[in-house]
Amino acid sequence: MDLDLNVRKEGDHSVLEVAGEIDVYTAPKLREQLIELVSDGSYDIVVDLEKVDFLDSTGLGVLVGGLKRVRNHDGSLQLVCTQEKILKIFRITGLTKVFPIHSSVGDAISAPAT
Amino acid sequence: MDAEAGGSPATVRLAFPPEPRLLGTVRLVVGTVARKAGMGAEGIEDLKVAVSETCAVAVGDLHRAGRQDPIEIDLLEGPDRFGIEVRDRAPAADQIPGGPGDGEVDDRSLGLALVGALVDDLKTATLEGGGNRTSFWLRRGPEPPDPLPPPLT
Repeated sequence: MDLDLNVRKEGDHSVLEVAGEIDVYTAPKLREQLIELVSDGSYDIVVDLEKVDFLDSTGLGVLVGGLKRVRNHDGSLQLVCTQEKILKIFRITGLTKVFPIHSSVGDAISAPAT
Repeated sequence: MDAEAGGSPATVRLAFPPEPRLLGTVRLVVGTVARKAGMGAEGIEDLKVAVSETCAVAVGDLHRAGRQDPIEIDLLEGPDRFGIEVRDRAPAADQIPGGPGDGEVDDRSLGLALVGALVDDLKTATLEGGGNRTSFWLRRGPEPPDPLPPPLT
């Protein structure tokens, strides 16, 4: 089990593509990557979860932490996800009201700032 | 649900040291056994999340308490449902120094709330001599027509 992270720039946004399983073992790697992005001045981040097979509460906590960090810089953290099993976790926890969740990276990037 | 107290015999019983890296293996085993028992895809995913969250809490509590006691899991196949019982020897959370998580979000509470929202008949109990027993079931076969439970927040 591993977590693969890939970062690329698309315009003013940093797109963080996540692949694998996000749990208590792998979530620190995602947390470090988000901290590094913000430290490097990336305040508008799109996290692409389309290749994520599993997400637990630790992963949710890391994403909430990332959102807090970018908001400290008036930035944004948007998610891309169409997988029902992952969306269900966001819905149950009420985090669909916290995160803008899009069906594609293009939609996320072109979405108006909230 | 207590297999050792005369309940349903465990279809599969596993034990693993409280290492976060092993949670993926636990999910793999649970998913495979649940699929062979006839659980649907959505039920399997719910069980994987529930058992992973339950075990993650136990792993965190045992680590903070400096203990290496194995975590035990029983997978139980009922006539029309599938059950899981997780047993650990972690001290009570309020007796562990340091507290949970890294301060960003209370993952522990969020995780336990997730379990409660995903499964049926969730029960928790304190084990004699210290530790916790958490058990839950999920219906096998087609999901009931009820909509998703309301958000936790």
